[in-house]
Amino acid sequence: MMESVLFQIAAALYVAGTALGFVFLYNRDERLSRWMFNLLAAGVVVHLASLGMRMKHFWEIPENRWYLPINSFFGALSAMTLAITATFVVVEGRHRLGIMGAFVLPWACAAAVGAVFRTHSVGSTEIHGLAPALQSYWMNIHPMVIMIAYAIFGNAFGVGLALLIQERQLKSKRPQELCYRLPSIEELDNLNYRLIAAGFPVLTVGIIMGGIWAHEAWGRFWGWDAKETWSLITALVYAVFLHQRLVAGWRGRKAVYTSMLGFACVVFTFIGVNFLSRLHGYLSAP
Amino acid sequence: MELLLAGLNHKSGVPALARDNLAAVGAAEFLRRLREAGWEEAVVLSTCNRLEVYAVIEDAGQAKASLDALSRALESAAGSPLAGHLYLRSGFDAGRHLFAVASGLDSLVTGENEILGQVKTAYETAFTTGTTGKLTNIIFQRAIFVGRKARTDTGISAGQLSVASVAAALAERIFGSLTESSVLILGAGQMAEIAARHLLSAKPAKLQIANRTHERGVALAETLHAEAVRWEDFPSLLETADIVLASTGAPEPVLTRAMVEAALPARMGRSLFLIDIAMPRDIEDSVGDLDHVYLYTLKDLEGIVNENMSQRRKEIAAVEKLVDAKAREFAGWMAATRAGEQASLRHHPGRSLRRGEVGKQEERS
Repeated sequence: MMESVLFQIAAALYVAGTALGFVFLYNRDERLSRWMFNLLAAGVVVHLASLGMRMKHFWEIPENRWYLPINSFFGALSAMTLAITATFVVVEGRHRLGIMGAFVLPWACAAAVGAVFRTHSVGSTEIHGLAPALQSYWMNIHPMVIMIAYAIFGNAFGVGLALLIQERQLKSKRPQELCYRLPSIEELDNLNYRLIAAGFPVLTVGIIMGGIWAHEAWGRFWGWDAKETWSLITALVYAVFLHQRLVAGWRGRKAVYTSMLGFACVVFTFIGVNFLSRLHGYLSAP
Repeated sequence: MELLLAGLNHKSGVPALARDNLAAVGAAEFLRRLREAGWEEAVVLSTCNRLEVYAVIEDAGQAKASLDALSRALESAAGSPLAGHLYLRSGFDAGRHLFAVASGLDSLVTGENEILGQVKTAYETAFTTGTTGKLTNIIFQRAIFVGRKARTDTGISAGQLSVASVAAALAERIFGSLTESSVLILGAGQMAEIAARHLLSAKPAKLQIANRTHERGVALAETLHAEAVRWEDFPSLLETADIVLASTGAPEPVLTRAMVEAALPARMGRSLFLIDIAMPRDIEDSVGDLDHVYLYTLKDLEGIVNENMSQRRKEIAAVEKLVDAKAREFAGWMAATRAGEQASLRHHPGRSLRRGEVGKQEERS
């Protein structure tokens, strides 16, 4: 009970921080940006406290001991929220890019609010015993690595969105105030590229780890399960992005569209596939 | 304690000669004269558009007589009568005026930044001359804080007000810092030079000048410490240049879409910023439709300048509000100090020294 209250408080802090991020787009008061980061950091702390309580409950089931509670839809959304927000605080916070909050944080909020609704619709925070195949140290590694990759791609998506807006602003020849608040075209383009260049190897390693785990658990590396297939498609799209950028000089709009397609694949792999895959379905979990 | 102000600015209608005389005296000398005349605490703000004397007297009841004395000091420096031209203020009005000046509200160009530096210099000059005291220390530091706050919290100083500076600002919206960008100037006329100087202030990695008459290009390149290139070579330089500024007297466009299209593959998607400030136009209009190419003409840039000016005017009310609030805050502090002084004089004659801290606390709020 306390756990879901704490989670709701964390979600509210994320939403409030994101709202400040939107106000900061149009109001140059630096305090807004500072408070946005403060609220996000507070949200992360409360979120971790909630996660701690969840782990305590989760570990009360003997076979779950020492495994992360990420085998449910709620658990996955919660981890996703945490990963996107933490990536944002670390990457954009370090580069003093509070202005990117309005573009990146809505995805964290969507995941957080989705998780809150999920607890309401299933009436609990979905704690159940891990299926035997999931009782492996990989349970603590493979999903987290994939989540980190997704969170990086989520940040890249927000940056790409800002890049599209900035490009349109400058092409219009009548740039608005927003143009002067956003980072420059080249900075956004580089940030988008560097995020994807960082996320791609993480995703690849995560998928390979999944293969190894699948071999241990199910006796095969690759079985064209929907999640497996779609994660491969996601990786391929980002590979195309990196290749075209380095070889053909794809930048700006064209590059952003490719990376956005990649993120659409991420969202589908993360959520849509649950309806297709038995092995990877949070929804089909017992 | 009371703050007094006697001053004149660009709106005061003072004859040029008197203004020149005042400017020739200089802040430091003026302060020295004031001190000789018995003024212990004073700051002189002297710029090409204004001369203001801020002075402190102990007895607020003497304000009127003291302001008369200040005007006489100004008149003797100006060498002519200034009656009717000077503005004379005291207490709250004087403090509010200083805050408004520091915020750029009283400047010829609303929100200009130079005045804030000038307020700082005026204070520093007075400090080294030894004419600052408790009140001037606090109110000038406060004014600098308010001036900064006005510029960060409102758009009073936002947006450039000249074609060249707008172009430089847009270049930064595309490339970020220009320190790794290379600039190519087409033409070597006066407009080209002005714009080149603006771009140079952003310290680009390279600045090249191509002019049809090579010798004139070389001459301009020398004064700007830039590199002159042959006119025939400029189309191939489009492969490496980031910013191209065209300002030639050519009757037909010199930079065509075909030239840019030919250079694009080698650019690997890096943005190209084209600035056409020539009349008639130097760059074919359809170049702006190409991907990664941003074309701004003189008309576009002038449109942005006008837009920026009206945006600044819209911010005046917000800054007035800030200045009012901060001036009232300061007046409140003054009143508390005075009350405290009287109380402590009555009861604890020795305990009147800790009041500077109030100002510091306000600074953070």
